[in-house]
Amino acid sequence: MNFPIPQLSLSFYGSALPIILLSVTSIIALLMGVSKRCNSVQSAIWINKISLFAALLIIIRLYGISGSASEMFLSGGFVAGRLGYFGQGIIVAVALVVSLLMGVSYIKAKFFRGEIIALFHMVIAGMLTMVATDDLVTLFIGLEMASIGIYALIGYVSPNKLSQEGAIKYFVLGSIAAAILLFGFAFLYAATGTLRISEISVAIGKISGHSWVELGAILTIVGIGFKMALVPFHMWTPDAYEGAPTGLTAFMATAMKTMIMVAAIRVFENGLSGVHGVWVPVLGFMAAASLLFANILALAQQSVKRLLAYSSIAHSGYMALALTAMSGGVRQYSVPSILFYLISYVIVSLGAFAIIMWLENERCENIIVDDLTGLAKQHPFAAVALSVFMFSLGGMPPTVGFISKLYIFNAALSNNLVGLVIIAAIGSTISLYYYMRVIVRMFMMEGSPVLGSLIKPQRSLTTTVIVGGSVALILLLGTLLPEKALRVAKHSAAEVTGG
Amino acid sequence: MQLINSYILSFLVFMPLIAAFAVFLSPSTAVARWVAMGSSILVFLGGLHVWYWFDGTSPALQFVESYDWIPTFGVKYILGVDGLSLLLVVLTTFLMPLVLLSQWHIDNPRQKAFLALLLSLESGMIGALAAMDMVFFYVFWEAMLIPMYFIIGVWGGKRRIYAATKFILYTVLGSLLMLAAAVLLYFAHFRQTGVYSTSLLDLYSVRLPLSGQMWMFTAFAVAFAIKVPMWPFHTWLPDAHVEAPTVGSVLLAGVLLKMGTYGLLRFAVPLFPDAMVVAAPLLIFCGVVGIIYGALTAWVQKDAKKMVAYSSVSHLGFVVIGTFAVMAGGELSVEALTGATYQMINHGISTGALFFLVGVIYERRHTRMLSDFGGLAENMPWFATLLIIATLSSVGLPGTGGFVGEFLILMGVFQAMPVAAIFASLGVLLGAVYMLSLCRKILFGPLDNPENKVLKDLCPRELGYLVPLAVLAIVMGVFPNAFMGKTKPSIEHLAKHYKNYSLDFKMGYEMSDKSAN
Repeated sequence: MNFPIPQLSLSFYGSALPIILLSVTSIIALLMGVSKRCNSVQSAIWINKISLFAALLIIIRLYGISGSASEMFLSGGFVAGRLGYFGQGIIVAVALVVSLLMGVSYIKAKFFRGEIIALFHMVIAGMLTMVATDDLVTLFIGLEMASIGIYALIGYVSPNKLSQEGAIKYFVLGSIAAAILLFGFAFLYAATGTLRISEISVAIGKISGHSWVELGAILTIVGIGFKMALVPFHMWTPDAYEGAPTGLTAFMATAMKTMIMVAAIRVFENGLSGVHGVWVPVLGFMAAASLLFANILALAQQSVKRLLAYSSIAHSGYMALALTAMSGGVRQYSVPSILFYLISYVIVSLGAFAIIMWLENERCENIIVDDLTGLAKQHPFAAVALSVFMFSLGGMPPTVGFISKLYIFNAALSNNLVGLVIIAAIGSTISLYYYMRVIVRMFMMEGSPVLGSLIKPQRSLTTTVIVGGSVALILLLGTLLPEKALRVAKHSAAEVTGG
Repeated sequence: MQLINSYILSFLVFMPLIAAFAVFLSPSTAVARWVAMGSSILVFLGGLHVWYWFDGTSPALQFVESYDWIPTFGVKYILGVDGLSLLLVVLTTFLMPLVLLSQWHIDNPRQKAFLALLLSLESGMIGALAAMDMVFFYVFWEAMLIPMYFIIGVWGGKRRIYAATKFILYTVLGSLLMLAAAVLLYFAHFRQTGVYSTSLLDLYSVRLPLSGQMWMFTAFAVAFAIKVPMWPFHTWLPDAHVEAPTVGSVLLAGVLLKMGTYGLLRFAVPLFPDAMVVAAPLLIFCGVVGIIYGALTAWVQKDAKKMVAYSSVSHLGFVVIGTFAVMAGGELSVEALTGATYQMINHGISTGALFFLVGVIYERRHTRMLSDFGGLAENMPWFATLLIIATLSSVGLPGTGGFVGEFLILMGVFQAMPVAAIFASLGVLLGAVYMLSLCRKILFGPLDNPENKVLKDLCPRELGYLVPLAVLAIVMGVFPNAFMGKTKPSIEHLAKHYKNYSLDFKMGYEMSDKSAN
């Protein structure tokens, strides 16, 4: 048999370097586990940090030199363009921050093993693949690489009942969702005869009204909606978030979300915009349901991680709202608004999870909202920082959360989605209530001695720098520099929106 | 002078914020106190400077500063004052040193944070009054809630958490719908002109069909009505006022509530004039109901602070009906509008003073129940004098500011809608009844409670922040023109041209030529 050997240029290797780097280090970390001579956790951690840092530098450099058009390699298997670099950059940056935070976490002392680094790098490599591909099969492989690694990590990093439950739940439901997604891709392939996203959109133009395309689009949106954690496919989120060690929760809430949003932008804007009449109502419904129900369900949560899980469902709802506004009408807002929202959400979430990890250090168990009582007195700066995060999640100015919400409103209203915006407004008023519950606990109630004394976290320079940095970024992007981040979002979206 | 005039509004807006950081980081409460006081006096002087240099013959927006903020959305950093906001800005800068003086004696570890919150609140208030860009305004409008939320929630009374939460949720829901309407307006402006801009000066030029105006006007009017608060959106106010610490109440009544009425004048009326004309009878109805309902509810209160809080509902009802007095010819009544803007200031001063005075006796006795007091005039003559002045100004006795405001409003509304004016004047009458009974129950009658016999009269520090308010209440009644003069062109401009409103502007650096005034 004669396979044509793909002609790969140097620029392909250049732009695929982060993925290659992480895959190789993943294998190295795995082998280090079995080797007797260098079986040291410490060296695995160093490999992890150095390779992530190198990958981040490469991606930033590539983003800087790339033009607005994207390059395709391996017949669409790999796309090198700003949108992809944007997603990759966020994912790697998040991974780096999470690694640094995990370094100071109690998990490291108790459960850390070299294989975890191997799994972690595999997850990242899968994510990096998924955000930079034009091919549905490669996209699926990237998704599964990321998901399977995450399933394993949830149950493996710190084995206890809660995390086992979260892992199993996520695994079972996630597999079903993956099957549905694959089913959708199969229908799309059957109808259009191609697996390339950009070619699907051309083919759809020729065979409009084909029911297999529509079925494929519906199944795809269900599969992606599951990974985005939109209501009614959100059931796994609170359990998985609660069960996972907090660092991993932070990673899932931010990097997973970035991955799936960038992939969704490609699939829906590039591939399926021709049948937007089919998926826009479905997505609009899921966005509205997420905005309302997730926020209402969050009201009743005691565990801080569950609360943030429901809040993350609601934030997916905002991004889905902008995704709904993508097809038809004015197109220049929706994609950049999603990307800007991702920037803001990632910064805020990492900060919030960093504080939670820091508080958890002494307790090895989930903290509940009541544990935060009186935090303002013991740790005023942590309390102020956490309230900045809460206000930003709630979308109050002068934080970046407000600007990102305004951008989403702009995107939605430019296509006259007034009803959805009103639902979003109601939802975010509800959300402000539970974000403020955290603030009320910290500032407005006196600490009860039992719970208050349990929280005696040690000082940690890493946490301080990360938390301080995200507070500074939130306030700066909300006041002085929103334009800078908006420009990044617009540039990254240019290859999709063509503007 | 040119340099000062070019940046004076930015100074007023951001100086308190910078001071707030300094206060928060200062080593001791004593230092914090002086930093706070120094900066607020500096800002007050800045306010007076604006007042002095303001060109009272022109309706234009003055001391304008304009820079790009978020070019992607066409959002600009525009600050400016005209006759509608001038007095409110000066009032805000004037109240702040008094508020800080009333906090002078408190010395505990949390006090630094409290002073920092007060200063950042001042920043937000002045910013909201001076911002002339929709989004820029909105940032201040919402950011202002955060310090007030903490002031009520941390330093408030027993039900403070409930009150603070209610306060912020109520306001935010209204504001978000207003934001959505503002974004729709922004797109309407884009469709008509091809330019993306959120500058109010541009948005004034948008002409919308009545049906579109109605929706957006509703969103704006509800957001501002919640803030005013207009009946039936007033329920957060008594809670917030009663639970807030004294200075929180003073600033809430003095400035924050005025944001609602100011917003109606600045945004709702000129942006959606046709919808406003249609909705005016309903709004006047709500205003009149608010006047009478607030007065009747205040009458039966046993808690002095609650009584003053409900009197605010009643008094702001006057401002509301003054805002929407559409005359037969389609113009707004100049008298009513003048009265409304005047009443905003006057209410800020008299009600601010009343909250301070209630705070004074609460601090001494730790109760505000009217039944616990009586006969205080005997051993607290200064307190009695000042309470009577504040009360009389609040009920609108001739010779006080309250009279001027209410009289002008009633005169204007009578020409536009006689029935409303008649019912509203019932409110004046009721106001006299409950406010005087407040005075009577606290000051007169037998001094039989032994705890009251030992109460000390006002100390010099307390006189220091109460006397200026009392003097101002009287001066505003005797020389109203000194205050109204500069606001007149703007108000006439709004009244006559609200249907095709536009604002000229004078940049800050053009303001130095005093001889041209």
